[in-house]
Amino acid sequence: MSEKVEVLKTKEMQELEAKMTMLIQTGRIDNLIDLMAVISDNIEMTTQPMVEKMIHTVDNLATAGFITENAVRYAKRETAKNEVPSLFGILKLMKDEETRKGLAFMLNLTKGIGKQL
Amino acid sequence: MKKKILIVGGGTAGTMTANNLAKKLMPEIDRDEVEIMLISDSKYHYYKPGAMYVAFGKSEGYEFVRDQRALLMSEINFEVEEATEISTNGNFVKTKKGKKFDYDFLVLATGCEVAPDRIPGLSEAGDWFYTYEGATKLAKKFHDIKKGRILVTVNFPKTPNIPHQCGIAPVETTMMLHDFLTERGVRDDIEIVYTYPTVAQSVTNGLFMQAPTSNVLPSIFDSLGVKHQTGFTLSSVDAKKKIAISAEGEEIEFDILMSTPPFIATKFIRESGISQALDDEGWLPTDKQTLKVKGLKNVYTLGDTVDLPVSKAGGTVHNQTDVVADNIASELRHGYTSESYDGLVIAIAQMGLSCGMPLWYNYDKDVAPTPCSKLGSFVRKGFNKGIYWAAARGMV
Repeated sequence: MSEKVEVLKTKEMQELEAKMTMLIQTGRIDNLIDLMAVISDNIEMTTQPMVEKMIHTVDNLATAGFITENAVRYAKRETAKNEVPSLFGILKLMKDEETRKGLAFMLNLTKGIGKQL
Repeated sequence: MKKKILIVGGGTAGTMTANNLAKKLMPEIDRDEVEIMLISDSKYHYYKPGAMYVAFGKSEGYEFVRDQRALLMSEINFEVEEATEISTNGNFVKTKKGKKFDYDFLVLATGCEVAPDRIPGLSEAGDWFYTYEGATKLAKKFHDIKKGRILVTVNFPKTPNIPHQCGIAPVETTMMLHDFLTERGVRDDIEIVYTYPTVAQSVTNGLFMQAPTSNVLPSIFDSLGVKHQTGFTLSSVDAKKKIAISAEGEEIEFDILMSTPPFIATKFIRESGISQALDDEGWLPTDKQTLKVKGLKNVYTLGDTVDLPVSKAGGTVHNQTDVVADNIASELRHGYTSESYDGLVIAIAQMGLSCGMPLWYNYDKDVAPTPCSKLGSFVRKGFNKGIYWAAARGMV
């Protein structure tokens, strides 16, 4: 029986066996098996509501990243296109509805942070 | 002169493609040489696969709806306009409000819609989970039923070798239904009968549209106590008696009919005169590699509107969108297309309420079914309920 198995062993299997032997002889295999057990336990202990909460946080971060990325790209483009505005020019920028909307958002954001302090 | 790219449709295909185009064409956008416009008939974006969870009370529905504008990069212009007319000679699209949108390149991404009226009696007596409205109605029925028979039917387009929306969905929902009724403690008193039509794309007398999966399904269904039969092509429903009648001449009584109804392209596409699909189904003749509409040099399409043999699903669109974006960018810059779609579809099938099976296939290779896992289900739900929005924004 063992002879038959020996015959069927491929070169790759022999290499794998040599590597596994090294892991066993150096005692590393114990840690690796523990690690596999930890991974398996974590999958077992994770529940659907936990996944949904985690993914919600990831989604929030991605949304914040998306908004920031868009805003920074826009600001860079506009800054490169236009000359540095005068004081009066800055006031003129404030006339724009989207600018005021963004400014109001920033002020509300500040308030939101303040509420938590 | 500024080049205009017009995208019609604010679903998965339109949104992903608009964002991917904006990314790829950023140097041209910075130089004010390219303009991207997306029009949609709704200010909201609906992620359709979420409806399946609603049918089993695992989601409310609002989680899968967002403002379309919030999903688009700021370089993309967006207007809520319902496209009604297209002139491929004049290179423009007209809308219901009378607005005209000119284009140099056009992307048609208006998806498909359920057409239960095409089967007599189905609208009155049948249910489906492909819309949020339908899934909510179905959820109530699944919650109330205590005994009887739930019949699953699947209809394919009349145009040959084209799938219905999301090919694996009938299998997924059948298994989810088994788990749901087991959870409710009523499974023993309710018979689930899964049926499949005689002809399903290249498969005849099977339980799925691809042979390898079709071959393993009987043993999976048997292990769940789900009855299964092929050769049942739903042709009409006796709504009063609650009997489903097949084109093959068989009749099956039911208490709930969970159907995959006929699907057709949207009215705008069906009335465009571009499609030659049978029975006015409206599928666009699509070059399987470039994803251009056949015979039109500057019109692309992707997603549920195409006449290709691949699944009408987000896992398909996610692989088509880069081909379309790359080809348009290449045509603008060099005058020729650069990418080719190989039919790749990647998804995770929800095989029951808490088991997920990763799957992939392309034009040449069918799905190789593998055992589902808890981890697979987490990845699937994680994508559906969170990562999708990043994918729609072109971030993944």
